[in-house]
Amino acid sequence: MDEVAKAHKIIGVAPGRSYHENARIILPQKIEEVWTWEPFIRDAARREELHNMRISIKRLRYTMELFHVAYRNSSQQERLVTESNTQLLCAESQQPVTDSRYVEFLAVIVDLQEILGDVHDCDVVLDVLTAYANGAGAEVLAPSVATLIARTKETRKADYETFLRKWEHLSTRDFKQKLLSFLAK
Amino acid sequence: MQSEKIISTHDIKEPGIKRISPDETLEVCARRIIGDYFRKMMSYKEGAKDGTDIEFVHDMRVTSRRLRAAMDNFADCFREKPFKKHYKKIKAITRTMGAVRDLDVLIARFQREVDTLSEVEQTDIHGLIAHLRHEREEARKPMLTLFTELEATDFETEFLAFFVGAVCNSDTER
Repeated sequence: MDEVAKAHKIIGVAPGRSYHENARIILPQKIEEVWTWEPFIRDAARREELHNMRISIKRLRYTMELFHVAYRNSSQQERLVTESNTQLLCAESQQPVTDSRYVEFLAVIVDLQEILGDVHDCDVVLDVLTAYANGAGAEVLAPSVATLIARTKETRKADYETFLRKWEHLSTRDFKQKLLSFLAK
Repeated sequence: MQSEKIISTHDIKEPGIKRISPDETLEVCARRIIGDYFRKMMSYKEGAKDGTDIEFVHDMRVTSRRLRAAMDNFADCFREKPFKKHYKKIKAITRTMGAVRDLDVLIARFQREVDTLSEVEQTDIHGLIAHLRHEREEARKPMLTLFTELEATDFETEFLAFFVGAVCNSDTER
């Protein structure tokens, strides 16, 4: 099993200030944690760093899910301010709706987590097959195990390439800066 | 192993979070969220102990991870020493559940793979699956020991008293 890096310590949290304000303190730090792994990801063999990036992405995902209520649809926010319509918050049928751009950003994060998860799954399967083959003590690898190892290596390669393609596409579109700018508003 | 259900990002379903007003203080929200996640996580415990339906272990593990993410983010709302003590327990829950879940996912994966192999080849993989099933039974032992320990020390009551306390007693009655 790969060693998982600890979550970065969040600084600047203000318990007595609003949830809304703290979302803008915490979320950028979660994004930065993800990008600390960026220098390693162009090497397919850096499985530990790829795994750690997946975990950091998962932490960002969960944190974004925690704070979605702090990023409401802007028209609803305006109505809340101008009408002081407290009923809007209470009525089940009129739950505040999360800003669609926030939902789109979150969907990208979930997608990255899943494809890195596929890569990691292949790494674990390869470990298990190799350990099983070694434990069997046979000099020649059983054909079935050899078949599955070859197949899993191919899948891993394809999954890694998919991940890298997606990452580079996001990089060229300045995804990180756009996400940070959106979250700061 | 990757084991999470795909959650539609167009339908974010988090316990209690929709009830939160972003204008409330972080501390009030943190207590409510941590309490809700904790109750949700513990609601899967009996199913996980039983072990027949592998989804209970999966759900408990995922919820423990979400709970930890919330605890990581909101740590500064709580006294450090008791917070760390409770955090360690949640981490132990994630770890012991993870060992079982990883094996559940591997067994399911190899069971799918076995159908794609010739009859002769299948024998080896059946052997591997049997080996993993045995490992799963071994991995369940620390999980069950941990549950017994949590019950003996009344961890659930202690956790909720610390994180939810008197502030959100109405929530515990929901």
